[in-house]
Amino acid sequence: MATKIINKTVTELSLRITRCFFVPSKTIQTNATLFQERLETSITNVEEQLPTTIRPPLPIIHSRKLAFPPKFKAPRQVWVSNMDTVEEEKLGLIDLHPEVFAERPRVDIIHENVRWQQLYRHVSYANTKMRYEVRGGGKKPRQQKGSGRSRHGSIRSPIWRGGGIVHGPRSPTPYFYMLGFNTRLNGLRSTLSAKLAQDDLHIVDSLDIPTDDPSYLEKLVEERGWGPAVLFVDDNDIMPLNITAASDSHGHYNLMPVYGLNVYSMLKHHTLVLTLAAVERLEERLLFHLNRNDAASAGQKYRLDSV
Amino acid sequence: MASVAARSFVFRQQMNTRRFDFASCLKIKSFYSSYSANPKEKSPENYTQYHEVSSDNWKFVERLKPPTVVPSFPKNGSCFSDWTPPPDTPPNLPYFVKRTKNFMVPVYLNFEAVRNQRKITMVKHIEGDIWALEKAIKSHLEEVTKRQVVSQVHEVAMYIKFRGDYVLHVKKWLLNAGF
Repeated sequence: MATKIINKTVTELSLRITRCFFVPSKTIQTNATLFQERLETSITNVEEQLPTTIRPPLPIIHSRKLAFPPKFKAPRQVWVSNMDTVEEEKLGLIDLHPEVFAERPRVDIIHENVRWQQLYRHVSYANTKMRYEVRGGGKKPRQQKGSGRSRHGSIRSPIWRGGGIVHGPRSPTPYFYMLGFNTRLNGLRSTLSAKLAQDDLHIVDSLDIPTDDPSYLEKLVEERGWGPAVLFVDDNDIMPLNITAASDSHGHYNLMPVYGLNVYSMLKHHTLVLTLAAVERLEERLLFHLNRNDAASAGQKYRLDSV
Repeated sequence: MASVAARSFVFRQQMNTRRFDFASCLKIKSFYSSYSANPKEKSPENYTQYHEVSSDNWKFVERLKPPTVVPSFPKNGSCFSDWTPPPDTPPNLPYFVKRTKNFMVPVYLNFEAVRNQRKITMVKHIEGDIWALEKAIKSHLEEVTKRQVVSQVHEVAMYIKFRGDYVLHVKKWLLNAGF
């Protein structure tokens, strides 16, 4: 098992994050060496695949300072779990800022965000020809007067069968628009609050798992009652090797950096798993945006009506 | 993954009687798009003189820049304007009206786009029993103005609108209520 971890190369894995470049780093070496040490000391039982993890006295994490401390709203307390074992071990209890995680979920704003995420990159390639594009129709079909029939200038005018279409689809038609800054911000807040309220939000200390076996993740998610689809969010966009390898074969276990967090992905996955680092970063960014006065300048570059 | 510097070859035709030599007529134009294509830095004597200023002087630049995040208000001292700071304890009411991020009371005057422009007073950032708040403000406004007041309660977005310009009345009521 230990050699399997070391010998696996980048080319054998298709990493989920497009910007994720694997760097053989200390992470793998420490995982592998620790694993080897434990293998030597642990009982050589065939059923016992994974070693027991060594932990300092709990709780490891017991306090957290909140930026922009809430005045009259109580912070929400959440358990911090581990990813080292299949069974859930609670490492501590932390506070989550109520303005980020305990907002009244606005379903209409969530819907607007989902619609925007789907539409802004949509380009319609449907096309119809106008009267000047349809082949033929340059010549006047018959004389203006004398035939007793109606007068026409072209056989491809819109009133003719086979003629051009007046207001039809014109390819390519972009549907790009930018949702307002506060709408996007409140979309994230509403979705995070809804996830927490519906017991679909879990905090873990880190995404380090002991093995790169895909079945480890399956067992873990099954054991803890996490939804079929899980979104793991970390602060860094270079994820540990083991979880990358384990989740690679599963389309429903996805890894994401904090800057990629969006309403559509959060709704698409049943469970959202944030690391402590991700929570810190997320709160810091969202609270900054909530308390800044120059948000209008952030959306300036997306304005379509101004130069 | 080194990127190749773009080059364009420009032919310069010689007007005089000199022989048309391929090598002499070529002028290679280099676009320095990569680190390795750039010329190496020479010793300091080749460039203009400069002297370093103490980094303590940066504070003079920083104080000119507007703050990115709303700074906290001073606790002591009175303001020359009508502004009063938000209270430390919330009032004992079934509803709460939160201050904006700039510590202002969230009452706004909107104009509805109808033929004869309609003035609307809007109260935002409401938490709790919105109907009780609406009843309280409405009764106060009807008492003060001695005419009927039309209101709209939006439970999803949590705001109340009153038809008419009652911004000052509503703000005063909210401040007296302890919001």
